[in-house]
Amino acid sequence: MILSLSIYAALAMLAVAILLNLWRLAIGPDDTDRVLALDTLFINTIALLVVLGIHFDTTVYFESALVLALIGFIGTAAFCKYQLRGDLIE
Amino acid sequence: MPIAAIILLPLLGAALPPLVARHGRPAPAWAAALVTSAALAITLWLTPQVLAGGEIHSHRDWIPLLGLSLSFRLDGLALLFVLLITGIGLLVFLYAFYYLPAKDGLGRFYALLLLFQGAMLGIVLSDNLLLLLIFWELTSLSSFLLIAYNPQTRVARQGARMALAITAGGGLALLAGFLLLGAIVGSFELSVVLASGDLVREHPLHLPALLLILAGAFTKSAQFPFHFWLPNAMSAPTPVSAYLHSATMVKAGVFLLARLFPVFSGTETWFYLVGGVGMFTLLFGAYIAIFKHDLKGLLAYSTISHLGLITFLFGLGTPLGAVAALFHVGNHAVFKASLFMAAGIIDHETGTRDMRQINGLWRFMPYTATLAMVAAAAMAGVPLLNGFLSKEMFFAETVHTDWLGPLNWLIPTAATLAGIFAVAYSMRFIHDVFFNGAPIDLPRTPHEPPFWMKIPVAVLVAACLLIGIVPAQTVRPILDVGVDSLLGFSPDFSLAIWHGLSLPFLMSLIALLGGLALYSQRQRLFAAHDRYFPRTSGAAAFQYTVLRVRQLANDLIARIDNESLRRYVAWLIGTTIVLAATPLLLGDFHLAGERAPTPLDGIAATILLVLAVATLATVRVRRQRLRALIVISLVGLMVTLTFIHFSAPDLALTQLSVELITTVLMLLALFFLPGDPALSVSRWRHRRDLTLAAVAGLGTAIVAFALMTRTTPSISDYFLAFSKPFGGGQNVVNVILVDFRGLDTLGEITVLAIAATAIVALLWRLRLPIRAGDPTGRPWADDRHPLIMAAMSRPLLPLALTVAVFILLRGHNSPGGGFIAGLVAAVGLILQLLASGLAWTEARLRVSYFALVGVGLLLAAATGLGSLAFDRPFLTSATLHPHVSILGDLELASALAFDIGVFLVVLGTVMLILEGLGRLNRPGAANMSPRGED
Amino acid sequence: MELLLAIAIGVLVAGGLYLVLRAQTFSVVLGLVLLSYATNLFLFASGGLARNRPALIAAGPPYTDPLPQALVLTAIVIGFAMTAFVVVLALRARAELGSEHVDETGATLDDESPDDADKEEDR
Repeated sequence: MILSLSIYAALAMLAVAILLNLWRLAIGPDDTDRVLALDTLFINTIALLVVLGIHFDTTVYFESALVLALIGFIGTAAFCKYQLRGDLIE
Repeated sequence: MPIAAIILLPLLGAALPPLVARHGRPAPAWAAALVTSAALAITLWLTPQVLAGGEIHSHRDWIPLLGLSLSFRLDGLALLFVLLITGIGLLVFLYAFYYLPAKDGLGRFYALLLLFQGAMLGIVLSDNLLLLLIFWELTSLSSFLLIAYNPQTRVARQGARMALAITAGGGLALLAGFLLLGAIVGSFELSVVLASGDLVREHPLHLPALLLILAGAFTKSAQFPFHFWLPNAMSAPTPVSAYLHSATMVKAGVFLLARLFPVFSGTETWFYLVGGVGMFTLLFGAYIAIFKHDLKGLLAYSTISHLGLITFLFGLGTPLGAVAALFHVGNHAVFKASLFMAAGIIDHETGTRDMRQINGLWRFMPYTATLAMVAAAAMAGVPLLNGFLSKEMFFAETVHTDWLGPLNWLIPTAATLAGIFAVAYSMRFIHDVFFNGAPIDLPRTPHEPPFWMKIPVAVLVAACLLIGIVPAQTVRPILDVGVDSLLGFSPDFSLAIWHGLSLPFLMSLIALLGGLALYSQRQRLFAAHDRYFPRTSGAAAFQYTVLRVRQLANDLIARIDNESLRRYVAWLIGTTIVLAATPLLLGDFHLAGERAPTPLDGIAATILLVLAVATLATVRVRRQRLRALIVISLVGLMVTLTFIHFSAPDLALTQLSVELITTVLMLLALFFLPGDPALSVSRWRHRRDLTLAAVAGLGTAIVAFALMTRTTPSISDYFLAFSKPFGGGQNVVNVILVDFRGLDTLGEITVLAIAATAIVALLWRLRLPIRAGDPTGRPWADDRHPLIMAAMSRPLLPLALTVAVFILLRGHNSPGGGFIAGLVAAVGLILQLLASGLAWTEARLRVSYFALVGVGLLLAAATGLGSLAFDRPFLTSATLHPHVSILGDLELASALAFDIGVFLVVLGTVMLILEGLGRLNRPGAANMSPRGED
Repeated sequence: MELLLAIAIGVLVAGGLYLVLRAQTFSVVLGLVLLSYATNLFLFASGGLARNRPALIAAGPPYTDPLPQALVLTAIVIGFAMTAFVVVLALRARAELGSEHVDETGATLDDESPDDADKEEDR
């Protein structure tokens, strides 16, 4: 009972967080802000996946969360490298 | 399967001559001769059996569903042809060795000849109509290559193209005819078809089937009006002409007439079509041959004429007509091959083939002249030579024909006239070449050719004499069984040289004397021909048609093609919309199906909303390219979440990794794509694009909705039920990929490998200007490889690789598998390239990604073949179940090896592409790049 | 829920096609990426929607339809290869033709048409 309630609360909060990320993504003002917003969005999504996994009582989502964490970091790194140097692989 | 070996020997042996070509010129010739001799030896070994009246059959299913089988038969008819093809083939091989210029390595020549020979043997030995057709087309193709053996000359290319267009076109007609015939009879097996003559002749489809099949036979045998490709094919090297236009290629058409003789012959249609075309071709070819100044041109038209004669004899539909036709097939092959060879020698020695220049060669090459004169006399039908015998039978048959009723006398008259022409052109070949004064302006002083070059001619001429003098002892047995396989019995016929003073003999006499008289008046005849004979030719009409068709195509293209991709795409989309919308608008279409809709939930709604908004945002910010990339990543993330939400964890993992790799790819490209200044787009075009996109989007949405709300029967239940017992895995998606549909996956990773290769090729030596700063003008940072980033990245590689291996091993039972593992591993490597650079990574990771792709493909294919070794279908999996701690129950299926193959290909492909892009503007192979000072 | 997904697919298709019709190669690439998302989602959705029912035998029935998933999985990877090819093509075009316009033919750079040689032959 308490678990399911807290899961719903967590889902709602994560949804709000994602929407806020989106807001930042939309308004910028800078592309660096947007990259950051995307990165944060990734992290919130990881949380969302884990909470969903608990909600559905399954571990199937956890691999996705794992890979998402890896991808999120590398994606952000790629965007940053581009902003810094333009050339990604040098 | 000794019969199949007769065909396979030359077909497979065709690989031999090019392989041995570097051991000198004789090697390919010996190889070809060896192969053909082996085929001939097998035939000779089987001959007694056939002569004793036994047909030899062999049968093996190929594609039973289509009625296609590997059935072969060696009966009398086939035996006659096989002996001609291999025997004359050997002589041609010997001749060609001396004929072709010394700088020609001969590897390609003999390979093509063997290929052609194999195809030809296939035609005569096939016991299945479809199989026969395959070989039929193979002869068209290989003869194309042979005629265009010297593709540098225009005439060779044109002649080859014409021959291919006509004979392959006829092949298509033949295919249609065979399909009809098969439909009538209910089988494509020749044995069945041959026994169903009555059924075929009474069937309503009889006429169309006959017409189509005859179109195939007539095009191949150069019957009027398809004859013109043959003279144009004379641009081939003479050994090729000697082979193709005496014993093979053109004989395929008459072989088909003989083969299907029991099925179609004897009807009035058959007589008028086959007999009529044959008679006309006989007269026409013989007449034209007189006027050809080119030696080979004369022989070409003479060939057309003799093929007409054979066709006519088959057209008569009488037993003795069939005997005479078969007999003449052999006789014509023998004397015509020797004549072509003689013409080749003359061409070789004098440097020209123009009979107006070539005169009085008797003094220069008496041996060759003697041989050629005997062969030409056989062609004319002089007694004591083989041509006389079959011609006499031909005359006898024309006398006995009564298809035309009161006009019956026309046929023997026409035959005699053709005989006169034949004597005239044979006379011209003898007199105009070897006598008739002295040569005029020959490019070379002629003398006798090398000894061995004359041997094939001599052998053939000896055969002419032998058959002509003692026919009963030489060809009678083969002729008997050959006719037997056509008619089912051996008719009574006599092969004596002297039949008494009969009407046929009188006709022969008239032909001889008339021909001599005609030739003596040749100057007047030539003048009359030049003045009155119409100047049109089939070849010109053909060329004209080709030219017009091409012009028409060019005009059409010029009209509809303005070389604008956007216009193509717009048309494509528009057409698709119309095609897709028509059934929806016209039919009785209900939007929603019967399936109960899934209830709305907040999370999914949010995901899809963000998806839609981000898509529109991508379109909007497309000009701020970096921003567009950020937004499109968001779209990708939302797609991933959709997959996760609707129970597709495998897809989510794949989409995620591809997402990142695509982003890196685009960022890499972005560096070199600053963008052009925006062009103004017309308002009309803008509206058109918007409308097209909106309508297509709406249409797709409607179809998607309709599809999602319906339940359709699916084969997935089978996959779900048998995934565990057959595939040995619990993750059904993965089992489908590596087991049930493993062949598809093998194809798909091959596509990946091809794409990677193409990309590497496109990147080859690509040079692009480098931008000094980002679009806002801000200069790039100095630090190539920020320390913190590098330090953070390095530990992630082992982590990523561990995750990859984990996902790979577990893939059969849980979400994962080779595709995802490959992508994740690639992601880990890419991070190192980003953070530490090419040089750093290369110094530590010495692996060729090409090798990775290759090994992966081989492994996947080998796994599939492995199951064949256990006598199971390709790509059947075998399983083992070792229990490994931590990882849990591991399915060590052979599917795992396949999945590892997939893993390697995916990893290699991704790395080839991204590293190739990263290497742009840098010296390729060097380990240390000049910019990579770390 | 189906309706929402259908609309999302429709928006992806519309956006993708609009971008594919643009003149700049980069926009076309973006459009192709969107289109491949749309296609994959469309294929995936054709198996019907099911929440928390992955096609894993261990999870127990009922399962979602695994076949579209298998199809889409390879489609995603091949879609990437295709995108990469188009991207590299765009780079090559930029290098050879000096433009990022899709309709740039380079006709001014290279006027020799291979057709001419062939026409000569038939005369």
